[in-house]
Amino acid sequence: MTTRHPENHPENQAKNSFGSYLSAALFVVFASLALTNLTGCEWGSIGYNKGYAPDQPVAFSHELHAGEYKMQCLYCHSSAERANHSAVPSLNICMNCHLVVATDKPEIQKITEAYNNNTPIAWKKVHMLPDHVRFNHKRHVEKYGAPQACHKCHGPVESMETMYQHSSLSMGWCISCHREKENQAPVSCSTCHY
Amino acid sequence: MDSQNTQNTSDSNTTSSGSAYWMSLEQWNGDQALADRFENEFMSSPLSSEDGKDGVARRDFLKIMGASLALATAGCIRRPQAHIIPYAKAPKEITPGEPNYYTSTWFDGTEGAGVLVKTLEGRPIKVEGNPEHPMTLGGLSARAHGEILSLYDPDRLRAPVRNLQNKERTNKESVATTFEEADEKILASLKAGGVALLTGSKPSPSLKAIVSDFSKAFSGARWVQYDSLPVDAIRAGQKASYGRAILPRYRFDKASMVVSIDADFLGTFLSPVEFAKQWAKNRAPGKDMSRLVAFESFLSTTGMNADDRFRIRPSQQLDVVLSLISRVAKLSKGSVVIPGGISAAAKAFENAPKALGFDEVLFDKVASELLQARGSSLVIAGGLPTLTETQVELQVAVNALNSMLGNDGKTIDHDTAVFETMSGSAESLQALIADMAAGSIKTLIIDDLNLNYLLPQDSGFSEALKKVETVVYTGNRNDETGSASQWVLPAGTGLETWGDFELQSGVFSIQQPTIMPMYQTRSLGEVLLAWTAKAANAPQRVKSAATWRDYVMGVWKAEIQGSVELGSGKSFEDFWLQVLQVGVASNKGRRERSGSGRAFVGSISEASLKARPAVGAGYELALYPSVQIGDGKLGNIAWLQELPDPVSKVVWDNYLQVSPAMARKEGLNKGDIVELKVGDVTVKAPVLVQPGVHDSVVALAVGYGQKTAGKVGNGVGVNAYPLSSLAKGKSIFSGRAATVTKTSGRYDLVSTQDHHLMEGRKIVLESTKSAFEKDPSSGIHKHQIFTIWPEHQYTKNKWGLAIDLNSCTGCSACVIACQSENNIPTVGKKYVMQGREMHWIRIDRYYKGSPDNPDVAIMPLTCQHCENAPCETVCPVLATVHNDEGLNDMVYNRCVGTRYCANNCPYKVRRFNWFNYMKKREEPLHMAYNPDVTVRPRGVMEKCTFCVQRIRRGTNKARDEKRDLRDGEITPACAESCPSDAITFGNLNDPKSRVSKMFENKRSYKLLEELNAVPRVAYQVRVRNADRVMEANSHGPADNHDKSHGDDVKKDDKKSHGLLKQDVNEKTGELV
Repeated sequence: MTTRHPENHPENQAKNSFGSYLSAALFVVFASLALTNLTGCEWGSIGYNKGYAPDQPVAFSHELHAGEYKMQCLYCHSSAERANHSAVPSLNICMNCHLVVATDKPEIQKITEAYNNNTPIAWKKVHMLPDHVRFNHKRHVEKYGAPQACHKCHGPVESMETMYQHSSLSMGWCISCHREKENQAPVSCSTCHY
Repeated sequence: MDSQNTQNTSDSNTTSSGSAYWMSLEQWNGDQALADRFENEFMSSPLSSEDGKDGVARRDFLKIMGASLALATAGCIRRPQAHIIPYAKAPKEITPGEPNYYTSTWFDGTEGAGVLVKTLEGRPIKVEGNPEHPMTLGGLSARAHGEILSLYDPDRLRAPVRNLQNKERTNKESVATTFEEADEKILASLKAGGVALLTGSKPSPSLKAIVSDFSKAFSGARWVQYDSLPVDAIRAGQKASYGRAILPRYRFDKASMVVSIDADFLGTFLSPVEFAKQWAKNRAPGKDMSRLVAFESFLSTTGMNADDRFRIRPSQQLDVVLSLISRVAKLSKGSVVIPGGISAAAKAFENAPKALGFDEVLFDKVASELLQARGSSLVIAGGLPTLTETQVELQVAVNALNSMLGNDGKTIDHDTAVFETMSGSAESLQALIADMAAGSIKTLIIDDLNLNYLLPQDSGFSEALKKVETVVYTGNRNDETGSASQWVLPAGTGLETWGDFELQSGVFSIQQPTIMPMYQTRSLGEVLLAWTAKAANAPQRVKSAATWRDYVMGVWKAEIQGSVELGSGKSFEDFWLQVLQVGVASNKGRRERSGSGRAFVGSISEASLKARPAVGAGYELALYPSVQIGDGKLGNIAWLQELPDPVSKVVWDNYLQVSPAMARKEGLNKGDIVELKVGDVTVKAPVLVQPGVHDSVVALAVGYGQKTAGKVGNGVGVNAYPLSSLAKGKSIFSGRAATVTKTSGRYDLVSTQDHHLMEGRKIVLESTKSAFEKDPSSGIHKHQIFTIWPEHQYTKNKWGLAIDLNSCTGCSACVIACQSENNIPTVGKKYVMQGREMHWIRIDRYYKGSPDNPDVAIMPLTCQHCENAPCETVCPVLATVHNDEGLNDMVYNRCVGTRYCANNCPYKVRRFNWFNYMKKREEPLHMAYNPDVTVRPRGVMEKCTFCVQRIRRGTNKARDEKRDLRDGEITPACAESCPSDAITFGNLNDPKSRVSKMFENKRSYKLLEELNAVPRVAYQVRVRNADRVMEANSHGPADNHDKSHGDDVKKDDKKSHGLLKQDVNEKTGELV
């Protein structure tokens, strides 16, 4: 027969240790306030890197490509509608145009050289999910279509000269969408964590 | 444990677990230390060992935390910075993160399987069975899974090596060399003539072709084949009996009565995956359930599954077969006649059963069952334990019996699809050694067979090798044979090169490379092609082949396309593409046939029987390959070393198996080091007291005790090969007289059999065929359950797993499949000793009856994904929760490592990461990780997830294709590789799914139902096809099963247990 010992009951445990929970919580609040002042990070983005905009080895501008020339997101990030990952395009995608377009510019010459030497470019990763999280691009693109789906997380990419992280990518932020009834999205842990 | 005196101690014992089943002799004897261990979930505190060495000790943790806090204040910079490195020129077939599968073939010298290799971004990460392969049908053994770690083995040679030798022909210095330099020097000596090529069996059409071309090009170079686990006695026996030296195809799918004479066909003999698949098909309980009787010198995987089991000495194998022959003839009352050539020999053994100490009634029953199942019975002998002095006579006798019973051409396929391909021969090896010693062999090429380790001293191989001017070795290590060679040219692994196989006649399969060669390696085919192409008189097909792949394609075009169904009516290009896609080409109709009965012409002379050494009072040696590492080639694979032996559950060692009676007689205990003397050779080995071993047999596994395997395999166990003998054209591994002397030494043997003990709770259920026919639910104990918990509602999928105990052979392939799929670490012997093995699926092995010859029950145990999961209610941080598809999710990033869940799990399936095991993985082993599964850090609990990553992939795929999931589309790694299809996974919300039907099956039961945990794993009762009353319990510990339930269920208890005969009290006739 299944029995539950009262002392094991989660509620009682919570009561017993309420004091220590409170002090821990206060500590976290103060510590984050202090850190925010010191680091200059955007408020609320501690540990989440919202606003992170590293310099890339090649000064690629989404503003130019997606904004001015109105190129489709999926032209370069084609695996976003086919796979879990939305891969950064391989150089042969760039060279589809840049074999003939803007070949005199130094940044383009960088990628031409890399392409010819078959040496990949190491881009700095901007959007990094917390550990132990899996995200399926395909499902989200399928639901909203590109570029609407892209905008929801990546923000106004077509106006970004340098790519930056638009959303916090925190779990609370993910879940806020998943919980909305009309989205009919799953919220069980192993949807994302496995 | 100071005494093995089981008869005396057990009756009065009250501390032992109290079930009819027991897992170890310690439990049987009621060892107090073991009883104490029952009380604790974890075997020792993590702080009691030297922590500092293995990771960050706890106090240092705060210091480091302080430092990282300071770093965090340096600016809004992410730490660590990560990079995305896309291809410069992306290959078309690769989408990052999406696996590609390639068909291929795995072959380890005796066993082969069709495989699918899962690759990610050009990196193989898992080997899976190819369901299209007609032999293995998608099953895969534990050893085959290990191929991935062979590929990433950090200890294998990365470039050719030249060994500069002394005058005494020992290695002075190893220097790096190149293939170009080696080719030039070796070609010169090849042209001088006197060339021989020494390999294991190569069932490969292309290799056969290139060897013949090579031979033509270099003045008739000789090809000698020798197998580390020889099967040439079977070929010799076939030749003596029927005139043609073949290795027949055993057809367990046609056999309703199988008698195995020391042939471990479910574990290590020939093609265990294929055999298990076929055998399990005929084991469905019911009228047509097949029977398996084993005559064994020690307990093997096959013996564990046998319905009846007789213990014999290796030297008595022939006696058994001959007396079966005479009994069968006698019982047939003249309808079955003993062939003339052996009638005299058989007559001499009419009364042998008594002399062998068998239960004569049972023995006659076996004989009469064989007679009844004429044409559908199968008598099989083979494997190392049968390689005695009379190995060929044994095969002749077995053939005679099969011919008498009309099995030849029915359960024994000799005609249409036989292994003609295993052609190793001790005789031709001996002839070669003689020529080497005489100096007539100038250049010897040895292919990846560490013969200086494998061959016994009396073969004279290592001495003869020194007489050969140029020795070339294609092994992946500079090992004992390598250092005796001038040139070591590593061959790489089968995952890196092209190749092909004909594992059975007419079954052609392809070996595709799945990664560029990681290092400077060349396979044997490539090496021979390169040399032959440079010979003056190179054949045309060699000249026209620019690469080894071209050569393989040429052979398929010329020799194979015309002979298989797949090849007819299409161009070679189309055929080749299809071969690559399917992986295999064979003729269906051909595989259905077995040929017809052949005329038996064999004979066994009485003289040869009399010439046998007399069976004295001494001990006899039986050598065997272990299920884990086979002949030892896979010794450096940590997964396999840490895989508990299916029978003894010992890890990271081999050991001398002795029977409990012998242990009593010689005063031996587990872990005592003994000196084992066989002939002139003495080996020191630790003792394991193992139930089921014959009282006069000592058994030791080969393949251990390596010095040059690498960091994992070096020094694990003792080398048993020197105890074998190669003389008079025979390899002798068993039946030799052995003397055992106890020394004062002690050694820690680590066995997992007492870990995760079920405290005597009866979770493994068995029934018998006759009981099952009366009541399909026999053996199951039903409880009345009262619950206040509301039921969970599942609107979409509801995952469930069914495990058929009747099909499970205990082969442990699932354990390694799971380990490979789920990035499960190995922890090493020291931590296994502390009960910290990490396997998500464990295979419990239970004994029942007396320790001399117990019955065995096997039970794979994995997370039960309970509806009312006891682990979920105790987790203070909600790290383990129920999801909407019924999975018991484990959320690693919430887990803080309280281990409450493991403490509260009645099935003991949760595993804790005591250390950062993964960080210790040496490169390039990290390339074997599956990126679909999180690598768990220290301090986190983990357990079986039902392969949730595969569920996600499967459901996503169905959604992409806008359809419902198909039954069987999602298969966890364990079910996928199970050779006997014992595991079924699927959706319980679909009443038509296979798993739903298994759940409704009358044999279905849930573990510890009375706890109302409501497991999502259903087991099917194991049904034994034997009706003998097992008297075992009269010696065993009292069955106090009732106590564990409480009084309220006691009445039901009696009813449901009554159907097992062994539960009947002999005196009162009451059910206990």
